[in-house]
Amino acid sequence: MGAIDVRDLARAAAAGDQHGWDGLVERFGELVWSTTRAYGLSPGEGADAAQTTWLRLAEQLGHLKDQHERIGVWLAATARRESLRLLGAARGVAAATPRPATEPPPGPPGAGEQGREALLWRVVRELPEHCRRLLRVLLTVPPPSHDEVSAALDLPVAGIAAARDACLQDFRHRMSDFSIRADADDS
Amino acid sequence: MSRDIDKTPDLHGPQDEELLQELRAAARRFDPPPDAVLEAARASLTWRTIDAELAALEFDSVVDLAAGAVRSGEGPRLLTFAAPGLSIEVEVSPSGPRRQLVGQLVPAQPARIDVRHAGGVTTVQADQLGRFDADAISAGPVSLRCHLGDTPSSLPVVTEWIPL
Repeated sequence: MGAIDVRDLARAAAAGDQHGWDGLVERFGELVWSTTRAYGLSPGEGADAAQTTWLRLAEQLGHLKDQHERIGVWLAATARRESLRLLGAARGVAAATPRPATEPPPGPPGAGEQGREALLWRVVRELPEHCRRLLRVLLTVPPPSHDEVSAALDLPVAGIAAARDACLQDFRHRMSDFSIRADADDS
Repeated sequence: MSRDIDKTPDLHGPQDEELLQELRAAARRFDPPPDAVLEAARASLTWRTIDAELAALEFDSVVDLAAGAVRSGEGPRLLTFAAPGLSIEVEVSPSGPRRQLVGQLVPAQPARIDVRHAGGVTTVQADQLGRFDADAISAGPVSLRCHLGDTPSSLPVVTEWIPL
């Protein structure tokens, strides 16, 4: 979906068209979610931050006419702000009711493609925080633009490619260590 | 220890983009946005208010907005929203899974206030002194829509969404 399509969706949504709005959710729903998860929010907190982000867009879309092309950047920046707000509020407010956790069920262990994906995901989660955060946002479908990544993580655009390369290199090292350990266990 | 990844069967030859594609598939499998989150996102459009003045959050006792830092503090949470010509002060107290709101319009004036929250819309009346309160507000995003009494023909004032 190109930039033109996003502008059309945003314009329709701003005029109150549900179909256009649903298109924005389909296009950017993963980006908003991934950003909340990149900041380590629980699924329940992520749901809250995501919902506030979309409510804000609904409220302000009419005032964002000259930003329709960059709605993804606006959503990423807002998801970041709402994630930080929730992280701050969780530390600052006493006796808040705990939200029910809805952790996704653990993937089945074992062989084949499912087993490999589970391994990949496990290694991602073991990366140092800055890499885990960066990859979590990068692993969005469709892949985010550098501007969107920059807005989600408050990183300068110029450094993103190099950071990504370094994190993937780290990832590969850990995967190969894992394979070596797994082979050693088998022997 | 050799770090020649080309000798490791699992990682033979993938370029960065191929690796990212595999990782994206893993992310979608193990941590996709929940259906409920996407449904709530789609439903958000119906909450928008057309033709209203937006009152932005100016003060939050939990967060020092300027520094982006968390304040230490006790007691109820205090919020102040501001629009041209109107401030709305709200004190938020937790009550189990709900929130209790006590508020003040400045300058003082009567108003009909729709408290929009996860449980629906709770409408309360601000008295002549601009005071209002609302019980049993669901935790989650909250926004107040104020229909001011003094000038009924003016636009309603809507506070930006705040998670409570």
